[in-house]
Amino acid sequence: MKKTLPWLLWLWISAVIVGAFYYAPLAKGFIGKSSRILFFHVPMAWVSFFAFIAGAVWSLLYLVRGRQERHDRAAAVSIQLGMLFGVLATVTGALWARIMWGAYWNWDPRQTSLLISLLFYAAYLALRGAVDDPEKRARLAAAYALLGVVVTPFLFWVMPRLTYTLHPEPVVNAEGKFDMDNRMGIVLFASTFAFTVLFFWMHNLQCRLQALLARQAENRE
Amino acid sequence: MPSTRLDFENVRRRFGRLSVLQGVSGSVLPGGALLVTGPNGSGKSTLLRCLAGILSPDGGRIDYREGEQDLGVAERRLRIGYVAPDLAFYSELTVAENLNFFARLRRVSPAWGFEILDRLALPTDRMVGALSSGMRQRLRWAWALLHRPRLLLLDEPFQNLDAPGEEGTRALLAEHLGEGPGGLAVIANPASLEIDRVTARLDLGR
Amino acid sequence: MSLPVSTWAAEALAVFAKEWRCELRTQVALSTLGLFAVTTLVVASVSLGPLGVAKAQGSALLPVLLWLILLFSIAAGLPRAFVQEEESQTATALRLSATPSALFCGKLLYSLTLVAALEALITPIYVTIMNLKVESPGLLVLALTAGGYGLAAGSTLVAAIIAQARSKGTLFSVLSFPILLPLLILVIELTRNAVLGDPAGMALAQLLLYDASVSIFGLMLFPVVWNP
Repeated sequence: MKKTLPWLLWLWISAVIVGAFYYAPLAKGFIGKSSRILFFHVPMAWVSFFAFIAGAVWSLLYLVRGRQERHDRAAAVSIQLGMLFGVLATVTGALWARIMWGAYWNWDPRQTSLLISLLFYAAYLALRGAVDDPEKRARLAAAYALLGVVVTPFLFWVMPRLTYTLHPEPVVNAEGKFDMDNRMGIVLFASTFAFTVLFFWMHNLQCRLQALLARQAENRE
Repeated sequence: MPSTRLDFENVRRRFGRLSVLQGVSGSVLPGGALLVTGPNGSGKSTLLRCLAGILSPDGGRIDYREGEQDLGVAERRLRIGYVAPDLAFYSELTVAENLNFFARLRRVSPAWGFEILDRLALPTDRMVGALSSGMRQRLRWAWALLHRPRLLLLDEPFQNLDAPGEEGTRALLAEHLGEGPGGLAVIANPASLEIDRVTARLDLGR
Repeated sequence: MSLPVSTWAAEALAVFAKEWRCELRTQVALSTLGLFAVTTLVVASVSLGPLGVAKAQGSALLPVLLWLILLFSIAAGLPRAFVQEEESQTATALRLSATPSALFCGKLLYSLTLVAALEALITPIYVTIMNLKVESPGLLVLALTAGGYGLAAGSTLVAAIIAQARSKGTLFSVLSFPILLPLLILVIELTRNAVLGDPAGMALAQLLLYDASVSIFGLMLFPVVWNP
């Protein structure tokens, strides 16, 4: 399984790329072929959001499940990956916004919320960098991550009132209807699934690497 | 078997790549003292900080019971008496103000603390910032005994003290171990100390 | 741990009284906070005042500026409440004698009074020299109270976190701004409503909810932050 998963993932993502460019039709109301970026932008934003929540869950597990190092490591790696995918989502979004809305940055509520989440990720990582003792680093970072998830929902709640959105309707809109061409839906769904698995695979690799590095440091002494 | 006792087993702690404590064990019963010796850097202070609950060990078990109660780390932290070189008080407050403040936090009368200060001949109206190192050590003793703890954790308890100071604090320690049901103490010092009632020794120097 | 409320409150009050006694003797926080606030205020008004901000722009711009001045002044002085304990090593004695929740509340109460004093000093001067006409002063006071509370509560927990890390000063700004940003957006909106005489609207309810969640989670997370 460990050996075949990367190959399966590679095949799956290749299929998604082919599907995004040759199988899915262009969306109506989008300039040129710009709608194709959606198949990558949306999953990236989703993974960033997912990683943020996962990081908070692992932080909570660290605090309530007997302070195990592996939970702290999982939280930190999750937030690092969330930052990576968040930056990718911001860049792909900005490229698309340049074509559709005429400017890279438009203070769209979702753009802004994502930017602030990135600031939060950066602050979390800065905090980890500023504490030497692993036990202290773990508990301070966990507390900060949890404070972050308590506070950030307010942004998503408040921002839409301040600036009107240019963003296309969410994939699943208010009526709960899946308002999209079938073939586009299939590719988007496949891509989101691929990115989520990619996240877990990268997460697992990075956690194992960190654990090995920690053990190596202990043995060297 | 007396129900009040401190036991610790296989306590380990590392700082970064440096392993300071590599699995130490010991136990103390009422009326007895455990003397921890070893050269500088052998982990005496680290062990006491772990026992006090202000540093969490990487592994091992620390069990402290008072009477029938098995105390968790949060309660142990507030129950013990701790004397150590890294213990400091508010330098912009006087000795008396510091003692009153901590008595209010501990919800006890400050009277016993003032009595100790009197016995150790420490002026109470002096700013803590203006105390000499020997005077600070006397204040640490008064602070540690303020709430009449059963368990005393003493890290280099007689450092910086002059002859009367050492005599006074040794008398306090003897009373602590001897009176009533008997207190417990873990004492850390680089060299061995002549103390009655030392029931066990732990040498961290390898 | 179940304690009678009165002894718990006495403990929190003891912390509060200790903070003020130390502060009044050294006056470090008061002078940094006050001087920082007044200096920024003067810089802002000198650069904006002569231009004469038009009323339409003023209602949009001036509330933002007021809260930025308050935010940066707080960042300059508030973290001291915990940083000082760690740096002068008094934190150990405190860890070994105070109930964490009472300690947090005592420190929070102290931060609250500092923020209130800062607001009482800055706001009247600001309103006067910027020629800001406030249509509903009652709402402004409400915004200052609820906003000041949120600023104090959020910063107190972040201060406890950064006090145990390296490069404390810069780290406080980095860590507290993402946490305080939703509050800032809300309180600026509320202040703008006060200036224009608009009703408080959703912003007040959301602000109060923010204050409540930060207090509750602050109280829950503080023992984790404070003790190993």
